[in-house]
Amino acid sequence: MNKKLTTSLVFASVASLIFGVTTASTAQAAPKKITLAFQGPLTGEEAQVGQDEVAGVEYAIKLFNAKYKNKYQVLLVKADDQGAPDQAAKVAPGIASNAKIIGLIGAAYSGATIASLPYYKQRNLPMVSPSATRVSITDPAAGAIGFPVFHRVVVTDKVQGPSLFKLATKGVAGPKAFIVDDQSAYGVGLVDYMKPVIPAGQAVGYDSVSDKTTDWSATIAKVKTAGANVVIYTGYFPQAAPFFKQLRDSGYTGILAGGDGVLSPSFPTLAPAAVLEGVRLTAGTVPLAEISAKLEADFKKKMGKASGVYAAESIDAANVFLSCVAKGVSTRAAMLKCVKAYKGKSLTGSTIKFDINGDVAGGAMNGFEVRNGVIKFTGAIK
Amino acid sequence: MIGNFFDQFWSLTFGGLSLGFIYILIALGYTLVYGVLRMINFANSEIFMVGTFATVIVIRDLYKFTQSSEYATGFRLWLVLGTALIITMIISGLLSMVVELVAYRRLRRRNSGVLAPLISAIGVSMVLAESVRIMTDSRPVASPRAMEKSFIGKFFDADIRLDNTIIVIAALLLFFTLWNFINRTRLGKAIRAVSMNPSAAKLMGIDIDKIVSATFLIGGVMTGAAGFFYVLKYENTASSIGFELGIAAFTAAILGGIGNIKGAFFGGLALGLLETYASFFLGTQWKAVTVFIVLVMVLYTRPNGLFGESITQTRV
Repeated sequence: MNKKLTTSLVFASVASLIFGVTTASTAQAAPKKITLAFQGPLTGEEAQVGQDEVAGVEYAIKLFNAKYKNKYQVLLVKADDQGAPDQAAKVAPGIASNAKIIGLIGAAYSGATIASLPYYKQRNLPMVSPSATRVSITDPAAGAIGFPVFHRVVVTDKVQGPSLFKLATKGVAGPKAFIVDDQSAYGVGLVDYMKPVIPAGQAVGYDSVSDKTTDWSATIAKVKTAGANVVIYTGYFPQAAPFFKQLRDSGYTGILAGGDGVLSPSFPTLAPAAVLEGVRLTAGTVPLAEISAKLEADFKKKMGKASGVYAAESIDAANVFLSCVAKGVSTRAAMLKCVKAYKGKSLTGSTIKFDINGDVAGGAMNGFEVRNGVIKFTGAIK
Repeated sequence: MIGNFFDQFWSLTFGGLSLGFIYILIALGYTLVYGVLRMINFANSEIFMVGTFATVIVIRDLYKFTQSSEYATGFRLWLVLGTALIITMIISGLLSMVVELVAYRRLRRRNSGVLAPLISAIGVSMVLAESVRIMTDSRPVASPRAMEKSFIGKFFDADIRLDNTIIVIAALLLFFTLWNFINRTRLGKAIRAVSMNPSAAKLMGIDIDKIVSATFLIGGVMTGAAGFFYVLKYENTASSIGFELGIAAFTAAILGGIGNIKGAFFGGLALGLLETYASFFLGTQWKAVTVFIVLVMVLYTRPNGLFGESITQTRV
């Protein structure tokens, strides 16, 4: 079992034991304890995404505990899956078998979600993910493998694929796009959903490159041969940065774009600022500061750091469970029923309501751009 | 596709050559040790990985380069590159010696056979890779750019870039220095003597331990140089990088004929070019398949690799 998870579980257990005794001795006055869990990458290459998300969850719980301090106290167990399916399959059984946990915020990544699902479905643990976007988790045509426990507050790659192409080619006269995936289910899926919306003649080439690739010269030669002026990469940021860097170093001056796999605060730190300037990115997230400067300031004050990627969606996902807790829900079965019937407002003001397969109704895809070494929000993609 | 290939031929060739020279230097680390001990030093890949981190630390922490700082030029550029190369080679060389001392020497003295050193090598490799993984939290580490990636000319339609040129020239110099060292110096001759017949070499008064140590040192120095050139070209590293590059360089050593310096040279070049051409022609996803099909075909016709038959004469 993951060390952090083990530590968290031990603390949760010890805490519940201590507080359980306290409950007995102080009779009715003590607040009822409810345990939720978060699953995402807390260490490893993708750690920043997970740390940003868990901060959002903790912020939401902090507000809830302050509001309901005499009635409920929500505890959080953190499970570190490093964003990797193999790691997720190791931590999920521990979470699933911990009967105290009645809801899971996560998993953050689609691959990790799919690897964890068998355990959560077996133990009927409701999930609300702030950022797992793979279509097959909720799409009946692909098996809807997350049903009935999985829900998410972000739109899927079915929306992201076309949006990414739209953003990448925006303002480009005579776009000639070269599209590269990383051979992962996420990367290949994004390309598959992008292809149907690409106008004839605007895609001049495709390549599929392992995420272990260090030398991109063959792909770069293909980009040049194709005469592309837009290059879209549908993998993750650790590979996107060297690819874009080598592409720029080869003399390529066109548009560079990527999906939410590239949207990490670490991405601009992996190459010279000038090289990544202007890289366009898409994601279903909205930065907290864009929603409300006051909210961001409060977040910073309470959490001791600025909010990060998917913070708003993590707060939204936590709020789904917390609103059910406020209604007196204290078991997994009741929580699942409550989540399925949930109807509430997101931080952006849109309605959060899940369809039968767990997808959120509505939702939008947003654009981002790297400017002076920082990823900046550029607004919803219309 | 053929027409496109010829359009991009020289660009692909220069890219493949600079990658090939990195493979050559790592392959030398494998081949030198194999030539003397008949043992695959699987930890060599992690010595390369540590070398890449040493270069990043020199550029980022010693010279304080950042992703937005000005590039070094003139004397300062050569000072930065020279310091980074030398420090990386020293660190990798010393680490290689320590690995031999800790993981292999006792086993060798006790005549433990072939399997124990092999497992020990894999163990050392894992210890080094995992230690760095924990220290870096599994994250990729970028090296700030110290040198502008400027174009210094054209060859047919291909741009010739300064960093690739430095890699090819410096790696060639290192290779010929090693070649002369092995063939012309007293220590080099002693290494060759131990390689050919350790018992006879011992009877002639050669200190085997000293020669083995020296071989690990030289192999580590060459592998360290590869780490420096890798960072110069790609400007990033990660704890997992040794495995990928190590496998490729080991393949190059086998392709050329392991234990043979000339084999490492031509094996490295052939692999660098083959990978690049195959990726262009068939798609990057077919790169590994192509390389290993060619390797199997070569070994089928020449079981000792391209330069295998002269192994007893030219072995280090």
